[in-house]
This record gives sequence, C-alpha cells and structure tokens, in this order.
Amino acid sequence: MIEDPKTAVAMHRWMVLSRVLDEACCQESAHWFPSRGEEAVPVGTFYGLRPDDVCAPGYRGSPIVFVMRGVRLEQVWAGALGKRTSFGRGRHFSFTAPIELRVLPYIAGDLGPIISQATGTAFAQKYRKSDAVTAVSFGDGTSNRGDFHEAVNLGGAWRLPIVYVIQNNHWAISMPIERATAAKRLADRAAGYGIPGVAVDGNDVLAVHAAVQEAVRRARAGHGPTLIEAETFRMRGHIAADTASYRSAAQVEEWQGRDPIRRLEERLLAAGVLSAEEAQAVWAEAAQEVGEAKAAAQRHPDILPTDLGLDEIFSTPLGGA
Amino acid sequence: MPARRMTFVEALVEGIREEMRRDPNVFVLGQDIGPFGGSLRSTLGLWEEFGPARIFDTPISESAAAGLCIGAALEGLRPILDISFGEFLPSAMPQLVLHAPVVHWLTLGKARVPLTIRTKVGEGPYGGHPQCFEAWFTHVPGLKVVMPSTPADAKGLMKSAIRDDDPVLFFEHMYLYHGVRDVVPDGEHLVPIGRADVKRPGKDVTVAATAWMVHRALQAAHQFAAEGVEVEVLDLRTLAPLDVAGLLASVRRTGRLVVAHEAWKIGGLGAEVAATVAEQGFGYLKAPVVRVGAPHAPVPAHPTIRRAFLPDAQDVTDAVRAVLKYSA
Ligand SMILES: Cc1ncc(C[n+]2csc(CCOP(=O)(O)OP(=O)(O)O)c2C)c(N)n1
Repeated sequence: MIEDPKTAVAMHRWMVLSRVLDEACCQESAHWFPSRGEEAVPVGTFYGLRPDDVCAPGYRGSPIVFVMRGVRLEQVWAGALGKRTSFGRGRHFSFTAPIELRVLPYIAGDLGPIISQATGTAFAQKYRKSDAVTAVSFGDGTSNRGDFHEAVNLGGAWRLPIVYVIQNNHWAISMPIERATAAKRLADRAAGYGIPGVAVDGNDVLAVHAAVQEAVRRARAGHGPTLIEAETFRMRGHIAADTASYRSAAQVEEWQGRDPIRRLEERLLAAGVLSAEEAQAVWAEAAQEVGEAKAAAQRHPDILPTDLGLDEIFSTPLGGA
Repeated sequence: MPARRMTFVEALVEGIREEMRRDPNVFVLGQDIGPFGGSLRSTLGLWEEFGPARIFDTPISESAAAGLCIGAALEGLRPILDISFGEFLPSAMPQLVLHAPVVHWLTLGKARVPLTIRTKVGEGPYGGHPQCFEAWFTHVPGLKVVMPSTPADAKGLMKSAIRDDDPVLFFEHMYLYHGVRDVVPDGEHLVPIGRADVKRPGKDVTVAATAWMVHRALQAAHQFAAEGVEVEVLDLRTLAPLDVAGLLASVRRTGRLVVAHEAWKIGGLGAEVAATVAEQGFGYLKAPVVRVGAPHAPVPAHPTIRRAFLPDAQDVTDAVRAVLKYSA
C-alpha cells in the first residue's frame, strides 16, 4: 500500500532525474562525486520542505536538491561545465548552491562546518519566532568530526528547529564506517545529546521521507532537533575516477539488489500507481531533459579572468559603514 | 559632542549596548556572558537590559558557536560572538578563516556575514591567556581585523564593526581593559575601520604600534621629547586591511619607522608593515625599518620570565635610537 501516491510518484521522478544527471556528470568530469544508489536520502529528506525552510544538503547527490528548490537543470550544468552562468561565476564548486533559494552553500572544501552553519539558520528561525525549520544532511565520515558533535549538542541544548540527517553510505573515501567508530548505529549518538535518534532504511525513499517529515513536525512544534541515520551505500568510487579497488565486490553486489529507484518502482507498479510504460517514460524524459540542458549550457559564455572579482571581497567599503 | 570618562571595557560595552538598542537583529553569544557578566566583565550589564532573548550563553563550543553565527548571519541577523580569549580562536579556525570571510565574494554579493567576533589578548592583570594571534587573521582575504588602544576608539570601532556587513575580528587588549578612564564621546561616535590614527605627532621617527604598545610608544616618545627628538606615534587600529595611505603619509613626514607589537616579531604584523613601506615608501626612508616584538618563544607563565619575554617601552626606546643613528 502506498499512503500518498502523489508524493511517491513525485519522488520517483526526482530520483530518476538525479540518477540520470549524476551519470552524465560522471561522464563529463572524473572528479564528480557519484551519488548512484544514494538518491533516496537527498530526495526523501528535502522533498516537501517549505520555501522558508533552509536546506543544507550534503555534497554527494546535492544537485537534485537544487533542482527541487527551483534551479533549472541548465544552470546545474553551467556549474558542472564551469560556465560563467554558474552560481558563483566559477568562484566555488558546482555542488554548492544558490543562497537565494535558502540552500546553504558549501562555502569551503572542509567537511563539517556546514552542520554548525545549519544550526545557525535554525537559530535565526527560532530567534525570529517563525515556524520554519532547517534540514541538513552529511556523510557518515563527516559525523566523526567535532563540528558534528558540537553542533548537534548545541542544537539539542537550545531546542533548535533542525533535522540532522546522516547519509551513511558506509564509506568515507577508503575508510569504512566500521573502522572509523566503535558505535554500532550512528543514530545512537543522539542519546548523548538528549535528542531522539532514528535509524531508517536509506534506500527506501518513503521511509526516509516519513522519518524526516516526522522530525520536521517536531521541530516546527518547538520540540527541537532529531538525528536521523539513513543507511545507504556508495555504489561507485569516491569520485568518478575512483575504481574503489579497496573494497570487496561482494559488498557492492549485495547492495546492488537494494537499489532505491528499482525498489520504489516495484512498489509503485505493484500498487497500480504507475504502469511499466509510465515508469519507462520517466526515464526517457529525464534523459532528454538532461541532454537538452547540457547542450544548452554548453553554449553559455565562459568564465573571464576579470571574474576574479578583486573589488568584490568586502561588502562594506573601508573607511566607514 | 558630550562625553564621559570610562574604562576601555565600559566603552566597549557601551558601544554594544547602543547598537543593540538600535537594531533588534543584533545579539550576543559566548561563554558566561549572561548573568555572570562576561570574562573580565566583557558584557557587564547587557544581560540586565536585554535578557535571554538577545544574550546567549553557549556551551564550550567555539567552533559550533562561530558556525552558528555564520548561519544566523545568512538569515539576516547580526551576531556578536564573544570568544572569551584569543587563545580559543584556533578552536573556531575553519569557520573564521575558511568560511566567514569568503561568503560575500563567493555568492557574488547575494549573501554577507555581518559578524563581529570580539576576543581578549595580551598581557593582563591576571596574566592568563596572553597569546596574541592577530597576525594570522590579517593573512586572510575577506576579514577585517581591528585592535584599538583607547576607550574612545574601542567604542567607536565596536559600533563600526557591528554595523559593518563583513566579518570583523575585534582584538581587545587585557592590560587596557580596566586601565585608566578616558574621555569617550556619547552616542553616535563611529571610528572608521581601515584608518590609522596619529596619537602623537612628531617629525623625526614614526612608531607604528598596536594596542598596549601604543602606550609603550607614547611613554618612549615622552622621554625622547626631553632630548629634543620628536617621535610620532601612529596607532594602526585596523590591522587588516592596513591603512597603507596613513602609514606612508607618516613615514613621509618622519623618514624613519619602528613597528611595535606585543605579538611575536617573526611573521608578525610588523613584517607586513615593514615590507609595505619598503615596497611603496622606500624613497622616504632615511634608515632601515626596525621591528619590536616578542622573541620567538612560547609565552612563559612566571612573572619573571614573562617580563623578560614581553616587549616594553625600553625596547621601543632602543629601536628608536637604532633608527636615529642613520642620518639623512
Ligand atoms: C575536514 C576535512 N577532512 C577531510 C576531507 C577530505 N575528504 C573529502 S570527501 C571525504 C570523505 C567524506 O566521507 P563522508 O562524510 O562519509 O561522505 P561521502 O563522501 O561518503 O559522501 C574526505 C575525507 C575534507 N574535505 N574535509
């Protein structure tokens, strides 16, 4: 049974689009961070949030969140292709986001600080007495940083309206989570901060979405943060060029059988929500959209040396506010 | 403008209080800044006036607090982060040097981080947490770094920092904190960021100094006056971006330059000041530039070796004599 077929069908489309876009970007760039097999986490987490909610998606698989927030595919491509029309005009990486859509950018290349920054947008939401919330996702590896522990503790102490989502894909480059911590479940860490911890099947988009939405309701009602661990798997290497020779084929094969898109499709077909032809059409449309967007972005102007922006470092000129 | 006499820290708090009254988006967070009144009374009285809606005691989490400020700023608030002591800045380094300073540039001006980070450094009445790390931050594009030496400048720069739309790192010297009361203008007294200030004019030597060393330099200048030597004391006030024009104008007048700060000499701000003058004002110089700073050793605890470590007025005097030896 599918409780909310409209939402399920919408999330199916986003996941398919994410997969197709991601594969195409991997073809384009050896340094792209592949998200194959992990689509249910960003889509399930950030689908259905309000425009005044703040989204802080982890870098892996984040472009689909930008698109869900209203960014055109063509602009995602402009970033991936390094065009002048990219969000930061070449000043930052393509997995960072347009701030005006309340998507927090990856300001710098170090992992962790965005968890505190998202805690800060939640602080501002509470300061202003609005019922908007913030959702932030990040990898299992990042959850070993001090940033995670300080931020989640602070969010709990101040009962801030935020949902912390660990996208546990089992690997941090070549480091398996089992060797990175003695904790059996990352969701258990919530107990140390006095907030609820929820472990969810991260390859079941409906389960991810339900868990996040429940946490969002708590946050809006003023009950503070929730820590969600969504267990999934990094099906490809850390970057497109990484062959991931450091791990066993058996583990990858096992997770192959739990592909989140195929699982949802099977459920949609079984429930009669989607026909096989309709599912096919979703893939075909995604391929066409991604291809057309890329072709269009390829015609965008290139970045110029003058885009360095030496006179745009400061907002307030020197010598007086 | 009417004025009152107050201490350095009273002037800082007055600046914050006025800006908090003026703008409801301004709030303060830090450790023990609420009912406790802040370490060394850094926020005394703010809790009583603004209470828990505007004054936030944080756990010992400098990094999370700094990151929280960036997030809050992206949502339009204007945080003042009280980092008790400069020695705790390294705990928040990623947020302070990698994140806060680049937001405006990175987002093509669509976002900004109007964040004031205030922290205490230097030798103080209790001798704790003295290390001076301000030079690190002057290396980072996008940060404004200020370090006043008088109560009036403390208030005026604090008000400017809070109104500034960029992150401003505000170094408060502990020896000055509860020192002499000095005249501070009431109300709208704004000291512009990016401007040095001649604290004592002179025509023979410029001593460009920061914070407590400004007072050491004034002491030395006073003694030299008796010998007929006129020392100009230039208070740099803003360390980044440096007031290059103000610096060059002073060196042009005097032809000799000593740079004095309490921080380590090697890799310190003095190196940047000296290099800037060498590049852009070489023609004005009648003597090599001499730097006064701490020796390259960790800061010692015991008062006897602490005294041996800290640069003092005698070091400034020696440096001035050294540059005076060269005649035009
Ligand atoms: C502070 C910091 N340390 C190390 C790195 C290098 N690094 C980039 S991605 C990555 C793996 C992150 O693992 P995880 O958080 O689990 O996310 P995943 O890549 O699995 O999606 C590492 C170690 C970094 N960017 N920042």
